[in-house]
Amino acid sequence: MIIFDRVSVQYDGAATPVLRDVDVHVAEGELCLVVGQTGTGKSTLLRTVNGLVPHFTGGTVTGRVLVDGRDTREHRPRDLADVVGFVGQDPRAGVVAEIVEDELAFGMEWLGLPPDVMRRRVEETLDLLGLADVRRRAITTLSGGQRQRVAIGAALIAHPRILVLDEPTSALDPQAAEDVLAALHRLVHDLGTTVLLAEHRLERVVQYADHIVHLPGSGSAVAGEPAAIMETAPVAPPVVELGRLAGWSPLPLSVRDARRAAAPLRERLVELEPARVPHVASAAADDVWRARPRSRGRATPVHATVDDGPAPPHAPARPAHGTRSRLAGGARSRLARLLRRRTRHAAGSLPGDETLCSISELAVQYGETVALRDVSLDVRAGEIVAVMGRNGAGKSSLLAAAVGMVTPAAGQIRTGGIDPRNNDPATVIRVAGLVPQDPADLLYADSTGAECLTADRDAGVPEGSCRALLHELAPDITDGRHPRDLSEGQRLALALAVVLVARPPLVLLDEPTRGLDYAAKQRLAIIIRRLAADGHAVVLATHDVELVAELATRVVVVADGELVADGPTADVVVGSPVFAPQVAKILAPQSWLTVSEVEAALHSPSAPTP
Amino acid sequence: MIMNTKRSMRTTSVHDHRGEGDGGGRHVGAVAMPLGPRSATAVALVSILGVVAFTWPLYIDADAALARSSDAPWLFAALLPLLLLIVLAQLAEGTMDAKSVALLGVLSAVGTGLRVLGGGGGGIEPVFFLFVLAGRALGPGFGFVLGQLTLLTSALITGGVGPWLPFQMLAASWIALFAGMLPPLRGRAEIWMLAAYGALSGLVYGLLINMWFWPFLAHTGSDISFVPGDPLSDNAARYLGFVLATSLGWDLMRAVFTTVLCLVAGSTVLTSLRRAARRARFDLR
Amino acid sequence: MNSTMGDLRLPRALHAGAWWLWALGLATAASRTTNPVLLLLLIAAAAYVVAARRGSEPWSRSFVAFLKLGLLVLGIRVGIHMLFVSSPGGSTVLFRLPELTLPEWAAGIKVGGPVTLEATMLALYDGLRLAAILACIGAANALADARRLLRSVPGALYEVGVALVVAMTFAPRLVEDAGRIRRAHQLRGRRLRGVRLISRIGKPVLEGSLERSLDLAAAMDSRGFGRAAAIHPRYRRSSGPLVLTGLIGICIGMYGLLNGGVASGVGPVGLGVGLVLAVSGFVLGGRGSLRTRYRPDPWRLPEWLVVGSGAVVAASFIVAAVRGDPGMDVMVVPLIVPGIPLLAAAGALAALLPAWASPPPPRMATEAPS
Repeated sequence: MIIFDRVSVQYDGAATPVLRDVDVHVAEGELCLVVGQTGTGKSTLLRTVNGLVPHFTGGTVTGRVLVDGRDTREHRPRDLADVVGFVGQDPRAGVVAEIVEDELAFGMEWLGLPPDVMRRRVEETLDLLGLADVRRRAITTLSGGQRQRVAIGAALIAHPRILVLDEPTSALDPQAAEDVLAALHRLVHDLGTTVLLAEHRLERVVQYADHIVHLPGSGSAVAGEPAAIMETAPVAPPVVELGRLAGWSPLPLSVRDARRAAAPLRERLVELEPARVPHVASAAADDVWRARPRSRGRATPVHATVDDGPAPPHAPARPAHGTRSRLAGGARSRLARLLRRRTRHAAGSLPGDETLCSISELAVQYGETVALRDVSLDVRAGEIVAVMGRNGAGKSSLLAAAVGMVTPAAGQIRTGGIDPRNNDPATVIRVAGLVPQDPADLLYADSTGAECLTADRDAGVPEGSCRALLHELAPDITDGRHPRDLSEGQRLALALAVVLVARPPLVLLDEPTRGLDYAAKQRLAIIIRRLAADGHAVVLATHDVELVAELATRVVVVADGELVADGPTADVVVGSPVFAPQVAKILAPQSWLTVSEVEAALHSPSAPTP
Repeated sequence: MIMNTKRSMRTTSVHDHRGEGDGGGRHVGAVAMPLGPRSATAVALVSILGVVAFTWPLYIDADAALARSSDAPWLFAALLPLLLLIVLAQLAEGTMDAKSVALLGVLSAVGTGLRVLGGGGGGIEPVFFLFVLAGRALGPGFGFVLGQLTLLTSALITGGVGPWLPFQMLAASWIALFAGMLPPLRGRAEIWMLAAYGALSGLVYGLLINMWFWPFLAHTGSDISFVPGDPLSDNAARYLGFVLATSLGWDLMRAVFTTVLCLVAGSTVLTSLRRAARRARFDLR
Repeated sequence: MNSTMGDLRLPRALHAGAWWLWALGLATAASRTTNPVLLLLLIAAAAYVVAARRGSEPWSRSFVAFLKLGLLVLGIRVGIHMLFVSSPGGSTVLFRLPELTLPEWAAGIKVGGPVTLEATMLALYDGLRLAAILACIGAANALADARRLLRSVPGALYEVGVALVVAMTFAPRLVEDAGRIRRAHQLRGRRLRGVRLISRIGKPVLEGSLERSLDLAAAMDSRGFGRAAAIHPRYRRSSGPLVLTGLIGICIGMYGLLNGGVASGVGPVGLGVGLVLAVSGFVLGGRGSLRTRYRPDPWRLPEWLVVGSGAVVAASFIVAAVRGDPGMDVMVVPLIVPGIPLLAAAGALAALLPAWASPPPPRMATEAPS
């Protein structure tokens, strides 16, 4: 159906080709998954299928791509619209019309279909994707999952035999992602559509794939059976990593298969306890990373009672068993090495149980809608709190309220001892820093260097502080790069550096992992752990259950503006059908959350030998 | 403010340099909707008619057919929308691919946002700044269409479609059209040139739109209304009186505001627009 | 008969073009008279129809805005008349403003002087006529859904129509973006005001939207935009010259109309022939495209009735004005209470027809009951 015949792509002005001699055949009716890290050419590969590369983006393509017998060199994207449906990365960006129905019909008008056929196809597509009850709604009022399904429908309505999707579930909450994937599954199975998709969140899609194309980053591509590719691929979902650890063969790709294989593993683990990472720890905190000493007179910390009772002053906030996990240890040493040069002193007591943010009976209202009601939450130093919940449940509002960006309709907020609403922004950024959902919002200079200088000036710190921070977060960004040309992960690092330069004790991150691949996510996890270890409190609103499992000490679930769960991560997510990470699902009813926990336990001296 | 201008210029030039490195340095020629000979003729003819539609009160003959009834302004109000549709169709033919349409739509939306946010109170109309820079960066043909679409969009969104709309559309598209035809200066000189042009265009726009309102607002027989058959200079002087009495303050404010915006933010926005044009790879035709 | 009743009773959005034609009919009628009673009658009829048939969209409120604008125009007109008419007609002097003569470079304009009742009334009547025309146009703005009007743009303007739709979909989102970025500035510890605020927010909004425009273009191209635009070469070859010749014709006609020395036929004939040529070129330019339309707005009986009502109003006023019915043009010297011409008054009442002859608007046009 799709034949890549020794395809190489080189963009104008680039030193090396993005793709080199790609030789892949995708058969009819397959669901083919393209995996690889950011920047390995996934999007480029997808865009060659309907000719967007090179007709739209420029660059040189050698070799040829045959799509249903048509050569993309001679056919422009619009000429291939009846064969290839293309759904881009951001479903919001591709919207032409205002109403769902018109959006679906837009493409058909250009194919010259007669009105009765158009009418019928719109109805069929609405049913196929479960959009019938929103047909007259404005697309801006739809949820993320609905919007993504509209985008798929708009591509599908021309009855293309191939559907190409670039990260269709990255921005969605778990439930919406399920809806979208179910729709795709149906297309492949009922209509025989060939689907080619790229996705970072392998844990969501890998079990549906018939075929995987792996882009290792050298420009070449390796295609093969999912299980075979997953044996060695550096990007892998937790289920695969667990399978590799336990040596299961064939490698299971779905939770269901893994559960069947996991009985012996569960047996071995039954006597063991997960070694959770203690997040309040140790000396050697570097100056750059340390929260600003809280010495100003009016900023008296509020010692409120926390949910799980007052912690003894000398003990860490959470009981720590055993050793630090492998990953956290590695992270610390790497960053510590980077930081050692700058270490000047490591004195001072660690603010172990200090409440950095205290929210009580908060309500937030936008016009008629109540976004939050009666929410109480305390965040203490050293905690990593994950705020979870559906899109639109009020997660962002909660974060925004903590830094005084929304006016509470009722309730009290004390962040770092001050009311963020009644204080100057310049004061607030010293007690709490928020990285918004789209980190690019924070960036407006023409170059990374200028951005850092502005941040130094905003925060009133010596010039070069932000630049030094950024170098530690993402060493490969040069001063001259335009912030908009950075990758998602680099952009996030820059925004984080801009926020952290004011050294706020409380750091809030809104959806930090959108568009990040596993490696970038891993780097983010290291940074966040490091922050927490050095006495910051980190609050992240996220859909990413795997990241939460690996990172969070505490999970707060928001639904319909109310706080419905608040407790240690394992207590909240294990057993939840939506929020449980894959490892927890595989090893339920035991409360393991991540592969590294399992691995550490298996290697601990108390582990029974199999 | 001057400090700020200096700084933004410095960073811009760094960026430009980089852009030339990887974008092939096609700064100057990238034009979004090129004006072919036929569409250029159509634009010229409609512009001539447009000038007449604005300025006829200044030189109409006393015994001319139009002078005898009070219907002249209505005739032009009915004729101009038709002419605009015709010239838009001529411009669109063959030049409006997906990139131009998307860029037009998005920039019109930006302009509409600026109009809605600016509100027009006290001459704060940042949209003129956009017309000047977009015409400059993306070419006269694109600018001509952008000017019209922006005003049409904001009128449709706010429900403010009136007989004045075609005249505003035409005047706005002239601003962007001529901005695209200015001499090819670069760097600081370009910003000063655009600032001066922005001031001029803000003023001229006000004068033109007022000229349209003139026959409606100033009743025949007053000392500031036009007299068919009088010499041009007399009518012009009376018009000046009308402008002084009504809106000169606003027009001056608008001119000053546009100039200040051009000086403060001109180079950054120009860079952004050129960057977009480069990335869209508009063909050189 | 049943289907006719259904046409009239079942809620649906009337074709936007029908509302505009109706309103233009009313505006034409208003331009034919200065009789305040007739003008107020027209405004009232328009207001009644708006009240009966407008939807719940934001632009439905624009009728009131246009009424206010009309009042403003009225005020300016009267004000200018009082200030700048140095020797008004009429003998009933209301009051006297201090007089001032501007220097010679300002053409010796005189400001102030006596203000007479008659002259003021004349300005008032004239201003009221403008206000009535504005009210009719405001009614069209309130009743017609601009987005639906864009769905019926002629073929030659399809791309322009798409650009407009994109702009209208994007604009609200940009305002949202601006708010978001403004808040993001707070996150960097700043409070901005004035010009700096505009440039600091404007730049990221602009860059973000320029970036999105590329994605949008890619999405549009992938969905076939521009594919069927190939128009039969015969149409294309003939459309351009027709349009250009037509425009030249219009230029000649315009010269004839503005210049007293030209034979009286040149103006109207040049204009007429030019218009016919240009419009036919315009129509030809859109013919022959393979593109089709999804669910075009229907034009059925209610549309005809609404347009017909507007035509009747315009026709009755034009006939009354041409016949010179007493009361169409109100005299101010001597100042008399104007009579009411029957034909025009009856015509004005016909403007009310759409309040019953058009289907009621659908409630919540863009939202399904959930």
